[in-house]
Amino acid sequence: MSSTGSTRMWRGAVPSVWVLRGVVAVGLMLAQLAGMPAGYTPPVALVVVVAALSLASAFRPDHLVVSVTMGIVIVWWALQLRTEMPAAVLVVAAGLVSAHVATTLLAYGPTSLPVDPALAVLWTMRTAMTWTAGLGVWAVARAYEGHGSPATFWLTGLAAALVGAVVAAVATPIRGKEARR
Amino acid sequence: MLDGSSRWNPTGSLGRALTVGGVGVAVALAAGRPALVVVVAPLLVAGAMGLLHRPTEEPRVVAAFAHRQLHEGQGMRIRLESLGLDDVEHVTRAVAPQPYVALHPAEGTLGGLVGPDGIPAVEASPRRWGLRTLGAEKVAFTTPWGGYRWGPVTLPGREVAVLPTLSRLRSGGEAPQPIGLIGAHRSRRDGDGTEFSSIRRFHAGDRLRRINWRVSLRHGDLHVQSTRAEEDTAVLIIVDALADYGESDGVGGRESSLDITIRAAAAVADQYVSGGDRVSLRVLSPGGEYAGYGTGTRHLRRLLILLSRIRPGVPRDVAIDQIDFRANAGTVVVVISPMLSGPLATATVRLVRRGLPVIVIDPLPAGTTPSAYPDADPAVADLAWRMRLLDRNQLLSQLAASGCPVVPWNGPRTLEEVLRRVARRGQLPRVVGGA
Repeated sequence: MSSTGSTRMWRGAVPSVWVLRGVVAVGLMLAQLAGMPAGYTPPVALVVVVAALSLASAFRPDHLVVSVTMGIVIVWWALQLRTEMPAAVLVVAAGLVSAHVATTLLAYGPTSLPVDPALAVLWTMRTAMTWTAGLGVWAVARAYEGHGSPATFWLTGLAAALVGAVVAAVATPIRGKEARR
Repeated sequence: MLDGSSRWNPTGSLGRALTVGGVGVAVALAAGRPALVVVVAPLLVAGAMGLLHRPTEEPRVVAAFAHRQLHEGQGMRIRLESLGLDDVEHVTRAVAPQPYVALHPAEGTLGGLVGPDGIPAVEASPRRWGLRTLGAEKVAFTTPWGGYRWGPVTLPGREVAVLPTLSRLRSGGEAPQPIGLIGAHRSRRDGDGTEFSSIRRFHAGDRLRRINWRVSLRHGDLHVQSTRAEEDTAVLIIVDALADYGESDGVGGRESSLDITIRAAAAVADQYVSGGDRVSLRVLSPGGEYAGYGTGTRHLRRLLILLSRIRPGVPRDVAIDQIDFRANAGTVVVVISPMLSGPLATATVRLVRRGLPVIVIDPLPAGTTPSAYPDADPAVADLAWRMRLLDRNQLLSQLAASGCPVVPWNGPRTLEEVLRRVARRGQLPRVVGGA
């Protein structure tokens, strides 16, 4: 399957590229602002900085600015949370991984390249499956909250992450050797 | 076949996933922030999956072209044949846009998963005659989970001769003075043809089946029905490629003077070669393309290739009015020219005075305005062009007065009526001047 149809460009990019740019910007902002309902409100200056960097990330998917923006968001959350495990971190994880996947897809080609629908479906599945790794860690952490020692807690969390990775590897349809054989 | 090579490199995506994920876990461990593991776990998984699909072999990619020559408006699929795609999940192709080459997809960029059918093909269709480079593109491969990228590799493309389009309409025009062996044109002399010529007395050697018994009985001695021989003819096509006037949008769009010239020359050559006649081509251009008299499909292809190689300009090493066009008696001369060159008009008149049937096809599109120098005063440029057009009208009038019909190109049937008139006129007594 391939994206062979002619697509109307808008400001030098096809619509699917604009959608991905939107996912990058929204994902990073979502990761920053996900805690607001729970009272984790970032300062306005930080929001402005992250918003500007998110827009830059959307237009420079292969640039270091994407990692920098993610780093700022993660550091801010590290400063806000100590041993708490609110549900908002799942939204943060979803925002970050969505932005990461969207930048990965944007880096596949020039802005005139429409995203292959089959590729979009494949990466949507992959995004969901990688997110389940975070969900697994979160679920384990919530289940053992107040029961285990800190060391046990970390081991359990990392083990859950590894299990999630293995599940994702096994369950995700990989196009490659198997498909051609 | 054109191939390119590169090597696999980790993508920015892989580096980001591992860096951000690793730093996140490190901060979580160092500062005791369990929630950070949840935040970066998806990125770590994505990075780990990218690493797991580290490629083990280098692919080789080769651009494959199905044709070396195409006619205007025809298209071909540019495929990529490749080896070592076992580690490849996605391919990106970005074909460089070329003037007068239509691509599908229109932007020339195409991406898709590499499946059992191989790599998706790009379709290219040249829209104007000439030498066009097709398939110059960049190709990149990506492994599953976007961990590694191969390329982009630049493939240089191939020069394809784009031949002028041919119309399949056939003209019924005849050659005025065919002098040849066997062909489709009615000759002036009697021979073994099918066209009725006269009824005359029986001579020794006449075939018995030619005897007209009704006339023989009436006259009391044998009479036979004579027919005209049918002969081929020689056709010389002179193409004026001294300049190109007007805008060209390629086949189906606006035509410049050179577009009309090339397509008319191709149509005339096709028409006569298909009829078994000998056709020669002489191009007035810096390249001085020339093909001697010949016939057959192979010769026609040679003529079309020569036409596709024309680049307009003034020949430097030859005076146009001194060229020996190698036109023998009976040769039909077709001059395709806007007659904006005095020396060519002089050469044409010389051919007419030799008694050759000469026809001028005028390819100048109506309302053409030439492109002037950017710093030229538009009013002056317009005035200069109008003066050139006045000169041209005078030249065309003088040509017509000297017995050379001038007709605008109107498809393959353009020459039909003109040749008929020239043939009728050729049967009248005339005074032949010196060359």
